[in-house]
Amino acid sequence: MKMCFRSWLTPVAAALVSVCIASAPAAGAGKPHYIITNDDVPAPLATSVTFYSVGANGLLTVKGKVLTGRGGIAGGYFAANRVNVLDNGSTQCVYASQAASGEIVAIFIKTLKIASHATGSKRDTGSSNGVGMAMNSQYLYASFTDSNTIGTFKVQPGCKLKFLSDITVGGLQGGTIDGMVLHGNMMVTTYGDGSIESFNISAGVPVSNGDEQNSTGSRGGNTYPNGIDITQDGHFAIFGDTATSTIVEVSDISSGKLTPTVVYHLGSAQSSSNIMLSPDETLLYISNTQGDRITAAFFDTGTGTLTKGCVSGTLKGYVTDWSYLGSLALQQTTGTGGTVYVAEFGGPSSIAEIKVTSAGGKCTLKESPKSPAPDPNSPGLLSIGAFPPRPF
Amino acid sequence: MRSVSRYLLAIVICGFPFLRLAAQCPNRPEAGTVVNDALSLSSANGVLSAELTMKHSVDEAGYTHYCYIYDTGKGEAESPTLRLNQGDNLLLDVKDRIDLDDSAGMMEMPPGKTCGDGGMMMLSSTNVHFHGLNVPPTCHQDDVLTTLIQPGKPAFKFNMLIPADEPPGLYWYHPHVHGFTEFQVNGGAAGALVVGGMEKFHPEVSGLKERVFVLRQQYLVPWVPGPYQLTINYQVADSPSFPSPIIKMKPNEKQFWRVANATIQDFMPLQVWFNGKPQKLQLIALDGYPLAKSRMVDTILVPPAGRAEFIVQAPPQNNEAIFIALGYSTGPTGNPDLEQQLGRIDVSNEEEETTETANETESKPVEPAAAPLTTSNIKFAGLEEQKPTAQRKLYFSEEFGGTNGPIQFYITVDGQKQKVFEPNEKPVITTHVGAVEDWYIENRALETHAFHIHQIHFKVLEVDGKPVADKDMRDTMEIPFWEGPGHPYHSIKVRMDFRDPTIAGTFVFHCHILLHEDLGMMHKILVLPK
Repeated sequence: MKMCFRSWLTPVAAALVSVCIASAPAAGAGKPHYIITNDDVPAPLATSVTFYSVGANGLLTVKGKVLTGRGGIAGGYFAANRVNVLDNGSTQCVYASQAASGEIVAIFIKTLKIASHATGSKRDTGSSNGVGMAMNSQYLYASFTDSNTIGTFKVQPGCKLKFLSDITVGGLQGGTIDGMVLHGNMMVTTYGDGSIESFNISAGVPVSNGDEQNSTGSRGGNTYPNGIDITQDGHFAIFGDTATSTIVEVSDISSGKLTPTVVYHLGSAQSSSNIMLSPDETLLYISNTQGDRITAAFFDTGTGTLTKGCVSGTLKGYVTDWSYLGSLALQQTTGTGGTVYVAEFGGPSSIAEIKVTSAGGKCTLKESPKSPAPDPNSPGLLSIGAFPPRPF
Repeated sequence: MRSVSRYLLAIVICGFPFLRLAAQCPNRPEAGTVVNDALSLSSANGVLSAELTMKHSVDEAGYTHYCYIYDTGKGEAESPTLRLNQGDNLLLDVKDRIDLDDSAGMMEMPPGKTCGDGGMMMLSSTNVHFHGLNVPPTCHQDDVLTTLIQPGKPAFKFNMLIPADEPPGLYWYHPHVHGFTEFQVNGGAAGALVVGGMEKFHPEVSGLKERVFVLRQQYLVPWVPGPYQLTINYQVADSPSFPSPIIKMKPNEKQFWRVANATIQDFMPLQVWFNGKPQKLQLIALDGYPLAKSRMVDTILVPPAGRAEFIVQAPPQNNEAIFIALGYSTGPTGNPDLEQQLGRIDVSNEEEETTETANETESKPVEPAAAPLTTSNIKFAGLEEQKPTAQRKLYFSEEFGGTNGPIQFYITVDGQKQKVFEPNEKPVITTHVGAVEDWYIENRALETHAFHIHQIHFKVLEVDGKPVADKDMRDTMEIPFWEGPGHPYHSIKVRMDFRDPTIAGTFVFHCHILLHEDLGMMHKILVLPK
C-alpha cells in the first residue's frame, strides 16, 4: 500500500485513508453490488451474462451466470456498450444486447432471472460488430452496427421493452454507428469515419440536431472518436479516440449542440477507444484498447480541459491471455471510484482490477495482486457494467 | 462512401454470385505432380504480340479463379510467361470475358480522360499492371489509374517499348482495378514477364536450366482471415494435406530459378533444404534488377509482389531436398504466414517428361558478353552518387474500431492528413523529372507492410536507421510491424529516381498486401515533365 500514497502521508494517515476508501458508499443499503459482463458467446452456443459480487477490497467473485438463450459474436466494436443497467427506484434491470440475433435481453437484478427479450425491426442487425445501447429511465436506444440504425425502445414495467421505431444514421463519409451516450434530452454518437453527431431525444425517437461534423482530431487525420462520456452537468461531451496513442477530444455541448472538439494528447499508450469519468469527475479513465494498460487523465469540469495523470503498468496476461481491452466499470459510485475494472478480451476473458489513488494533483493506477478475475464464460469480453451504476 | 464501406458492399453483393458460375478457367495441375513452367511466349524480331482473355470460375473445392487465358490454337494456356528483350515492342491485347453480374459494388473512375472502355470500376472490370517495368504511366502502357477494360468489349491494346536500358530480370503482370485487385489476383490472375539478358550481367547463369516459378495464394474468401493454400505454377503446395509438388533436378545440377511472389499477402522467407538443412543459394537479382554482385545466402525474404532470381545446386542423388517458405510473423494484427513446403526436389538422372508447356516461340539463346556488363549500363545507374533534391517522410498506419481487425489502412506523407485513397484524389506528392529523392518510410502499424511504387525501382539505403551493406534496387520492400509502446517504428530509407523523362505522369505507390491496397493504403504521385 505504501506505494499508493504520497510520501508526506504518515502511516497513520494512510491507514485512515485506506479505511475510508474501503468503507466508502459502494452501493445503496440493501442493494446488491455487482460487476456484470455481457459474455458475448458466439452463436449457435447460448451466450450468458455473468454477475460478480464486489468485495470490500474491490475484488470480484462470481455470483452467478444467466443464460440468455440467444447468441453473441465474441467481438466487434470497442465502444458499442453491450451492458446497460437501470436502477429506477423499484425497477432494477440489466439489459444485454445479443449481437447474433439483434435482440435485447433483460434480467431482473433481484432474482438474476430473464425478464424479457426485445427486438427491433427486421432490418436492425449487428451481427458483425455488435449492438450497443444507451438508456435513461424512459427509453433504451440500441445502435445496430451492421444496419447502421438506432432503434428506440420504450422502457416498461417488469424490465420489459417495447420497440417504437428505428432511424438510419451514418457518418459524413459513410461511417458506421459506434459509440452512443445520453444526457437529458441529448444523445451523442460517434461513427467509424471520424464524424460525430448529436440528437434531440425529448420526444423519444432521436431527431438529429443537425450538427454532424468531423471531429477536430479526425480532421487532423490521425484519429477518430469512438467511446463517449458526458459530464454530469451536460456541459461537455468527451470522446475517447481510436488512435495509435492516447487521444481524447472534448466538445462543449452546453448549447445543446456539438461544438468543434478540442484534442488532448495524453500519452503513448495505444488507443483510447473506451473512456469513463470518475463519479467525482476529477479523473477520466481511459482504456488503452489496443494497448496493454489503462490511463487516467485529470479533468477540469469548469473548463473541460484534460491534463496528463497516470498510467498503469502493463496489465497481467497481455498477449498470453488477452489481446484487447474493452470497457470500464467502477467499484464505487462516489469519489474516484475506488477500483477500476476493465474487460480483457481473450479466450477465456477476464476482468482486470486496478486500484486508484488520487491526491494533490497526482494519481496512481495499480493492478491488484489477485487481478484479474477470470470470466470463464466469455470467449471475447468487451463490455462490462456496474450495479448500482454511476449516478450520471 | 469511403473504400471500406464500398468494399463491404462488394462483399455482400458480390459474394454469392461466385458460386453460380460455369467453369471458364482451365483445370489446374494435380497435387503431387511434376511442376512445369508456364508456356513461354517469346518476342521475335523485336516484337511480342499476343492476346490474353480474362475469365473466371470456381473450382470443385470452392476456390474462385480469375485467369489470363492464351489460346495456343490447340488449347488454352493460363498466364503464359512473356519473354522480351531490351528494346522490344510488347503488343498485348487483353479481352475481358468475366461472366459475372455485378451491377453493385462499383466505384467511379476519376474525372477527366479515361483510357479503354471507361465506365464504372466493378469486380468484372479489369486492367493490367506490368509490375516493376520502368515504362510510362500512360494509356496503353502501364497506367492503372484510368485504364479500364470492361466485359464483352473488344480487346484493349497494350503497346509499349521495353526500354533499351531496362534491367534484365523477372517482372510480372496482374490486374490493378482499385477495390477489386485482391479478388482477381487471389489464386489466379498473375503471370511472369522476363526481360532477357541476365547472362550479360551474371555470366554464371549462362547455360543453366532456367525455371520460372510463380507462387500464388488462394483463399476461399479472400477478405476473411483463415486457411489458405499456396500454389506453385498453379499446383497446390499444401503439404501434408496434399502431396507435395515435384521439382525435377539432376544430381549436382545447377539451375537458375526465377521466383515471383504473386501472393496477395504472403511474406516468404525462401530456402532450399537438403536433408533438413538450409543450403546456400547464389542470389543473382531482386525485383527484376541484377545485383551488382551475386551473393551467397541461405534465406531470401520475398515480400508479396517481390521477385528473387538465384542459382540452386541440387544435392547428389538419394538426398532429400525441398523448396520451402518459412513462417513469417506479420505482427499482432497481421495474418499468419505459415511455413509451407513449396515443392519436393526430385533428384534423379531420369529424363524429364515432355510437357505441353514447351515454348510457343523460341528466342535465340543469348551468348554471354565477352566481358560482363555492370549495372552502370542499365536504368538507375549511379543513383547512389546522386545528391537528393528532396527528402520525404511517409508512414503506414492502421486504425481499429473493434476486434475484427483494422478498419482503416493509411499510407501518409508526414504532415498531411491521414486518408484512404480515392480514385478522384489529387496527388499527395508532386515532383518533377530529374528529381532524386530520399524517402524515409516508417511502419506505425501492428502489422508488416510491403511498400511498392509503380514505374521505378528505388535503392535501399537504410533499414531501421542503419546503412545496409547491400544497397539493392527494389520495387517492393517489406517494413516490419511495430512491436508496440516502448519500441521504435521500423523503417527504411530509400532513394527514388525520377530522372527518366518517360515516366512523367501520375502513378501510385501503395502497400502490396492487396487487401490494404484495395482499402485505400495507396496514393498518387505526379511527376511533372522537366
